[in-house]
Amino acid sequence: MTRQTRTTLTRRGFGTLIAASAATLATPGLLRANTNGRLLVVGGGFGGASAARFARINYPDVSVTLVEPQTSFVTCPYGNLILGGRKQLSDITHSYDGLRARGVQVIHDRAQEIDAEGHRVTLAGGDVLDYDKLILSPGIALRWNAIEGYDEAASEVFPHAWWGGDGSQITTLRAQLEALPEGGVVGMAIPDNPFRCPPGPYERISMIAHHLKQANPTAKILAFDSKDGFAKQGLFQDAWEELYGDMIEWIPASQDGRIMRVDTENKLFVSEFGEEHHVDLGNVIPPQYAAGIARDAGLANDSGWVPVNPRSFEAEAARDIHVIGDANVGAPMPKSGYIANSTAKTAVTAALAEISGRPAWDDPVYFNTCYSHAGEDYGISVAAIFRPTDDGFEATPDSGGVSPSGPLSEMSRNRRLEARYADAWYASITDDMFS
Amino acid sequence: MRTRLLLPTTLALAMAAWPAVAQPDGPMLAEACAGCHGQAGAGQGAISDLRGYDRDAFLLVWAEFAADERPATIMNRIARGYTEADVEALADFFSSLE
Amino acid sequence: MSDLHQSTPRVRLPRSASAGDTIEVRTLIDHPMVTAVSGPGPRDMLARFEATMNGETVIAYDFANGAAANPTFTFHVRAAAPGDFTFTWTHEDGRRFTTEGSVRVT
Repeated sequence: MTRQTRTTLTRRGFGTLIAASAATLATPGLLRANTNGRLLVVGGGFGGASAARFARINYPDVSVTLVEPQTSFVTCPYGNLILGGRKQLSDITHSYDGLRARGVQVIHDRAQEIDAEGHRVTLAGGDVLDYDKLILSPGIALRWNAIEGYDEAASEVFPHAWWGGDGSQITTLRAQLEALPEGGVVGMAIPDNPFRCPPGPYERISMIAHHLKQANPTAKILAFDSKDGFAKQGLFQDAWEELYGDMIEWIPASQDGRIMRVDTENKLFVSEFGEEHHVDLGNVIPPQYAAGIARDAGLANDSGWVPVNPRSFEAEAARDIHVIGDANVGAPMPKSGYIANSTAKTAVTAALAEISGRPAWDDPVYFNTCYSHAGEDYGISVAAIFRPTDDGFEATPDSGGVSPSGPLSEMSRNRRLEARYADAWYASITDDMFS
Repeated sequence: MRTRLLLPTTLALAMAAWPAVAQPDGPMLAEACAGCHGQAGAGQGAISDLRGYDRDAFLLVWAEFAADERPATIMNRIARGYTEADVEALADFFSSLE
Repeated sequence: MSDLHQSTPRVRLPRSASAGDTIEVRTLIDHPMVTAVSGPGPRDMLARFEATMNGETVIAYDFANGAAANPTFTFHVRAAAPGDFTFTWTHEDGRRFTTEGSVRVT
């Protein structure tokens, strides 16, 4: 990867390429400085890490550079288990050393600007990276102020914990939960579709309830929803009734559940039709869109998400940029880690077809399984297999679906197994990203 | 004849010669399995090891899952998402792994 | 007919606006909207929704069998002084559920 470095005084605006020698570029595991093709991956999460690793294993002659601001990766999945008191932050934090050992050049910086025409990305620190192909997996941004009063400052009082980041959001939320006054009210504001991780808010409700049942059994959870239905709803509501009694109240949009304003000073959630709800703990999951780097590059449409070719994930708006993960328009595929991981591989075969001479996977199949922990030894899941169509994606008919429903007296074995399988999924998928 | 070389997610090589007509790509299909069944299907915790799975047994068990004739939590729902040709390719792939 | 469902209409209006501004009006009424066409009855349906601004009708809608439970309407009007609104949902049996609201239009 040719790279303009700070020490050689090249910055945005100067525009002069300086090819660095193998010595100055030396990072552990980097095989050759000038290799056959340069793949740049922006975003080191479920999509980006999977893409970088797959590329290094299957296309050893292609140089792969990964740009990710976080020096280690905190997964959003399983963050809810921290709330439930079943995991620690260290359990969901992953090192990039494995990718380095595979020869990925990992740069910890924030990608700031994409020059699609010029095939280069500028980093916040000033470096400029040239690419032949770009895999862009930047995740989501939160629409600040879409809920009146919910801006970045507000998220320190009412955490969203809707990205892993440096782990501070989920640990703050956990601390607030532990400090909840006896009999206190946990308020949650849940957005309308589409948003990252459709079952996520409901697993969160479950894990909060699991904690409260032991630590603060008279506390209440008010889940305000901007929708009238949600993923695995029947299963979740059955579990809540079986495990948590009347601790949880879910208020759908049609019953004035849409929160449109928050007041962090007075600790209020205010609904669409003006009902004020006092909360002792407020978890606000605001509406979302593609991360800024994708939108600023003109890749997103009016919805705020990036439309892509369903076979290659190349952005409709720019050549040689493949957008994977939550940032793209993938409906009906959910915005999930497994989809990001699954589609990453197809995107890499498509991106590297020209460079490598190896054909892209021309008949791709995309895969998702989302496990949710509704309680201890109580796992539920949804699975789906998708295929590209001429203008989008479609779920394969008569397949996939959710776990079978039924009371614990009949289903306890199934629920226990799915909880174990969920743990195995987490270990396997993070291996597929970082090992 | 075009030789396609795609490494599975271990150091073991799976080489296949593909004709010009599209055939399901076993290694690429199997990539999705790694998210639960581990690298190269080696298994993980409670989820089974698929390496060296007898080819005929793979096809038989898959068909049973798809028909809800075998106890399953999730594999029945997943099995129904793949064509017969897909499953043959997966059986070829996993049976070839050590 | 026993236990007639008493609905509570809800409305969201901006507090104030300048004359000519486009303002958003949101409405919601809780009502089961039972059609009794393909499911059990008895039929219990709202027939019409109407909103007026300063005495003039700005929107009127006749419900059909496809209408969902708890119907919600969001619409936009050009604000005119003084900005007094009435909202009326009329049941098929003639009963009315009404509420009022105002926007300080200057």
